[in-house]
Amino acid sequence: MLAFERRVVRSLIGTSDPSRRAAIEDYVDSSLRSMPDHLRAGFTAETVALGAWDRVAGALGRRDDPAALGRRLDRWEASPIGPVNQYVRLLRSLVLFAEHEMAGQS
Amino acid sequence: MTRTIDTDVLVIGSGAGGAVTAATLTAAGRDVTVVEEGPWVDPDAVEPFSLEEMATKYRHRPAAALGAPAIAYAEGRCVGGSTEINSGLYHRLPANLIEDWRDEYGIDEFDPDTLDEYAERIEQQLTVSRLPGAPPPSSALLERGATKLGWRSVEYSRVFRYDAAGRGVKQTMSRTLVPRAVDAGATLIPNCRVQRVLRRDGRAVGARAQVTDDAGRVEDVTINAGHVFVCGGAIQTPALLHRSGIRAHVGGGLKVHPMIKIAARFPYPVDHGGVPMQVITEFGPNLSIGGSASRRGQVAMALAEASDDIDGALADWEHFSIYYAAIRTEGSGRVIGVPGLRAPVVTYRLTDADLSRLARGLVHLGEALLAAGATELYPSVRGGPVVRRPEGLVDWWSGVSRSRANLMTVHLTSTVRMGQERSRTGADSFGRVWGIPNLRINDASLLPDAPGVNPQGAIMALAARNCDHFLAES
Repeated sequence: MLAFERRVVRSLIGTSDPSRRAAIEDYVDSSLRSMPDHLRAGFTAETVALGAWDRVAGALGRRDDPAALGRRLDRWEASPIGPVNQYVRLLRSLVLFAEHEMAGQS
Repeated sequence: MTRTIDTDVLVIGSGAGGAVTAATLTAAGRDVTVVEEGPWVDPDAVEPFSLEEMATKYRHRPAAALGAPAIAYAEGRCVGGSTEINSGLYHRLPANLIEDWRDEYGIDEFDPDTLDEYAERIEQQLTVSRLPGAPPPSSALLERGATKLGWRSVEYSRVFRYDAAGRGVKQTMSRTLVPRAVDAGATLIPNCRVQRVLRRDGRAVGARAQVTDDAGRVEDVTINAGHVFVCGGAIQTPALLHRSGIRAHVGGGLKVHPMIKIAARFPYPVDHGGVPMQVITEFGPNLSIGGSASRRGQVAMALAEASDDIDGALADWEHFSIYYAAIRTEGSGRVIGVPGLRAPVVTYRLTDADLSRLARGLVHLGEALLAAGATELYPSVRGGPVVRRPEGLVDWWSGVSRSRANLMTVHLTSTVRMGQERSRTGADSFGRVWGIPNLRINDASLLPDAPGVNPQGAIMALAARNCDHFLAES
């Protein structure tokens, strides 16, 4: 998982339990690694592009503010541009599934 | 150093097609080696539809057929293939489809009576049966909705064995035909990825593969075989053939059953341990309505597409169950093995008529669930409005668009169609790849179209038929 992907995933996780947060990150990481090569390549390209956008936007404001990233993710998820909204939806789906399955097990 | 293995019959893949092939040919006294790309996983080790199951038995967790809309799909990658991860619902291939396909593709010895004989044999081997006793609430709700609307619905049989207390265990290939083949003398090699089928003088002579051990060490293997059966499923089979330089009528014509889903909230808790076996058949064969896995994680994912705030709904997840509408499509897809890429590129194109059929399916599904007593419906449509009354369903018609529909499938077929119409098929009536008589396909790839029902029964009956033909011939 690339640094920006990890940052997005961390902002999407709801639980504050450190061990569960780590387990969710691991699940998303292994899911991304098991993607078909061409889909992973496209996803990586989006990570690079959106990460650059985030850095530019951050340079103009408060880069490390998790709330700002959260608002940006909400905007991207509502974007009419398919690859942009699908980027957030994919990560959110993986996080949601893992988080709620783990909650069900505990 | 490359290890060499010699065998009479090489079976590539251990799912519904490969397991039948291995068990049938081993029982007939043939020397069989089965290779499976995925691991052996104890069938009792992980819960169905759980996080652990996804981690151990699925090929790619997030995989999608590219297109507008993209269609997420799932494949098993373990001993037993997709039979390990599916719902276990069972249906014979409908007689009218058998006759249509026979006539359209010129398939020899392909008629309802013949396939029914093979289906009966499979059903006995796997103890295909109906649920003893009352259905679980998630299934009964679908029947209640259909009955109130005057629609036909049926309880599907399942590939399950039930004990005296009515507890069912899915009879996957790793529990049944694979061990049967091994007990009869077949060699099973898990964690073995076939890179290409080897050919010489117009015949298949085996395969080149890599076996990965528990420590992650990779060993090159050459398997010399008199006959090769490729049974990797409708995605991996054409991809392997492409890697092996076999492309004529291979990979095109992919068919799936796209599903659109609703997470339905009821005023009381619903069961979440399995998959409803009731199916609304009123609009068949092109549109069917049924139930999906509804564990907590799946409910969370299903709710995520909704326009409303979902926190309250998530807290009430035990009151939710997920249902689907699935269609047969006009559109089709393509599997393309690309040199240098480990996974093939998969594309799918839905027509406007397909999208319209999906929208109709979503609305009908909503009608049935409201009639069953659901209080809120969350569609798998990005930003789709939550519906609480029948008059609200009209809002969904325009929602099922290329940019907003969230679709998935688990049924993949038709990438190496069979028949004597050589200009339209990749294999003959019994799965022999054209021009390579000892290279056979024996899986979902052979079906000329999506069957409109769970294809496992059709795949297994067809595989058994083709094996008998092979044995009679050789």
